Amino acid sequence: MLAGKQAQFEKLIRAYSPELYRYAYWLCRDRFQAEDLLQETFARAWKARDDLRDEAASRSWLYTILRNERARLFERKRFDYDENQELDEIPDPATDIARDCEVRDAVRALPLGYREPLLLQWIGGYSCAEIGTIMNLTVGAVMTRLTRARIALGRAERSVKKGVAR
Amino acid sequence: MTCFEFRRLLFAEPRRRTAEQEEHVAGCARCAVASEEALATDVRRAENVFIPVPDALPDRILLQYRRPVARYRIWAMAATLLIGVVLGAQLYRTYDTAKEHVASAAALPRDNPAVAAISFVLDHEPRLLKENRTGDPAVMLAAFQRLGLKQPAGGTTIRYLGKCPVPGGTGDHIVLTTPHGPVTLILVPDYPVGSRVMVADRDLTAVAQPVGGGGYIVVGESPQTIRHVERLLM
Repeated sequence: MLAGKQAQFEKLIRAYSPELYRYAYWLCRDRFQAEDLLQETFARAWKARDDLRDEAASRSWLYTILRNERARLFERKRFDYDENQELDEIPDPATDIARDCEVRDAVRALPLGYREPLLLQWIGGYSCAEIGTIMNLTVGAVMTRLTRARIALGRAERSVKKGVAR
Repeated sequence: MTCFEFRRLLFAEPRRRTAEQEEHVAGCARCAVASEEALATDVRRAENVFIPVPDALPDRILLQYRRPVARYRIWAMAATLLIGVVLGAQLYRTYDTAKEHVASAAALPRDNPAVAAISFVLDHEPRLLKENRTGDPAVMLAAFQRLGLKQPAGGTTIRYLGKCPVPGGTGDHIVLTTPHGPVTLILVPDYPVGSRVMVADRDLTAVAQPVGGGGYIVVGESPQTIRHVERLLM
């Protein structure tokens, strides 16, 4: 029985650890922290394996555990998003992002509330509705965050082009 | 769908289109161009987040999460070893009883569990066997489990099941038919039976053996018969 569950769990690890690692990296912005976070995520998932009723939901379940573990390990609190956070609060690319800014730097500089849905969409391939479920947000709120994140990335890219042109 | 509504959805999810969006883009050239551009930009940007994954990452994770299992295995091995030692000690003690002193009933108080059991077997068991009553097997099984004993097998059958008085309370009274003749087994899960003693009285021999918080008493025709049943209990 335990051996069967172990084999099943090993499959999950092999299937999802690359994308979860990338997601963890972009949340933490640090490779070592990302790997630690992934270890903790799977350790937590193994302990809670009986909670997973639907195997088809295992991927989203792991993403959710990773988010919660990150909050537990690095923030000591759950994610709290301020729905009223304005795009103005996103760092101005001209000042906060290095002049030779690339897309990675721009993504790295996005506030977590904007960065995270974008990562879930790019890395996880999730829809707005699915991201809303994982992040406990409405679909509308997810769409707003994604749009603002893309606008911020566009600004950053334009800023770099201007810098190069000078 | 208006161009504004189309683009609102486009910037949120450039890689997906609803049926309404498809319909709109079919009739709006500007939005069709915007959609293609947004998709191309999104794909280009998304490529940047697919950073390389460290080598052998899944293997390292597997090692980590197996740790509790490894600990579990160590504990299981330790428990197996402990059980082996206990069983070995128990078997040694059982075989050691071959040289065990058999006390005379006259040398012991009448309320000694082994002496009282022989009296009960001689005085009351024949009548009880004639009544052919059968007690609750579940109660008997529970008593075996509470004492950590096995139900005797190996050609042994239960002839009678009931309750009987023991010093301090009642016990589960079981009469077994064994290859060595009839044997009475009294399980006393709730009352202490004192230290081990083997006693001979009239034509019977009995042993009282403490187990856990209680104990058992075996009454048979000879020490060999009793030892045979005791081995079956372990």
